[in-house]
Amino acid sequence: MIGKHFKYALISLLLIVAQTQAVRLLSIEEITPDILMIWIVYIALRLGQFSGTLWGFAIGLVFDLVTGNFIGLSAMTKTISGFVAGYFYNENKTHLILRSYQFIVIVLVVGVIHNVIYFLIFTQGSDIGFFRAVVQYGFSTALYTSIVTLLPMLSFARKYQG
Amino acid sequence: MQRFLDILLLFKEYLVLTFLIVISIILLAGNDNTQLHAIRAYTVGFIGVIQNTLSVIPNVFELKRENEVLRQLNINLSDEVNRLREARLENRKLKEMLNLKEEMPHPLISADVIGKSLHLLRNTITLSAGEKDGVRVDMPVICEFGLVGKIIATSSHYSIGQLVINKDFRASAKVQRSRIDGIIGWDGGEFFHLKNIAKKQDIREGDLIVTSEYSSVFPSNIKIGIVAAISEIPGNLFKDVDVQPSVDYASLEQVFIVAMPPDSERVLIEGPVPRLR
Repeated sequence: MIGKHFKYALISLLLIVAQTQAVRLLSIEEITPDILMIWIVYIALRLGQFSGTLWGFAIGLVFDLVTGNFIGLSAMTKTISGFVAGYFYNENKTHLILRSYQFIVIVLVVGVIHNVIYFLIFTQGSDIGFFRAVVQYGFSTALYTSIVTLLPMLSFARKYQG
Repeated sequence: MQRFLDILLLFKEYLVLTFLIVISIILLAGNDNTQLHAIRAYTVGFIGVIQNTLSVIPNVFELKRENEVLRQLNINLSDEVNRLREARLENRKLKEMLNLKEEMPHPLISADVIGKSLHLLRNTITLSAGEKDGVRVDMPVICEFGLVGKIIATSSHYSIGQLVINKDFRASAKVQRSRIDGIIGWDGGEFFHLKNIAKKQDIREGDLIVTSEYSSVFPSNIKIGIVAAISEIPGNLFKDVDVQPSVDYASLEQVFIVAMPPDSERVLIEGPVPRLR
């Protein structure tokens, strides 16, 4: 059990580094996929709502500390993401969800919720309008992230086939 | 305890979510950027709206306290209003008395009414000025509204004034308009009586009655009252004239004693002045 969480922690750190350093290489018109979102949804679908919420907070907090930008914002939005993703947790259908389009849909739904909350706070007091930010960046990022989710989904499909 | 723990476990997801969001908000509050300033402004505005809405609901304890404070304030203000009203009346009265003092050709001695004996038909007042102030027997007593009476007894520091509303008081009077002379007196009741007015003489209701030059005690032209009613009694040569007093004797507080001693030569030649008691 501890070993599993240690593995999750290690992967989380690697993904945070990847999100901050390497993901920009995948950017299209300043839109980048949120691979941490995919990871949090995966954890919530594997371990349930409680763990998804806790891991969402931990990953978001470390991400805030690493980027040093608006500390607490990602912690909050990713906590909520883990919590929402946890609603789709089904112990008996975990593999089925992960290897199907459902995984992509869940990432899309959670990504939209995440970005709406994120921009609701982030756009306060700035010249960027909330609706413009959500439409231009929020939906695009969520969509791009869900497209990227195809990769792990296909991987799980091969792994859990049969 | 176990039941409590069971409830906690049942809602552990919501509890941990709430806890972590609170932690996140605390972390957010530690930032110092534009977004947070805007959020703080919105929060203050939101709380203001809530407080404004809730202020409609009366707080019983606060209302009670406020009521007590307002009552106390009301008492203080009422007291102050009364004092101001009193001061205004006193001011007005003093101004009128000052005017009287300036108009009067004789020196005036001011005195406070320190006692009243307004009973039966022999009404007198006790004044706070006596012989040491120059007050002598038979000096007229007046106020800003007219004739009050005359001094009938004195001591070093006090004197007794016989009011016009005294059965024994008599004074020479005249109708200011037609210069008709008579004798003013009082037999009890609301009005003075102007006597010795023949039926043919010109006197009307509303005429002003003042002291006449014939009096050896009172200076002339001191207001006494206004003719209120005139009636003729069959078989009588004179009119019965009721005069409304110009002075309210019940509310006398300050008076002047006219420092005009009777003209002794005139008294001597006209005969003894009747000493009324």
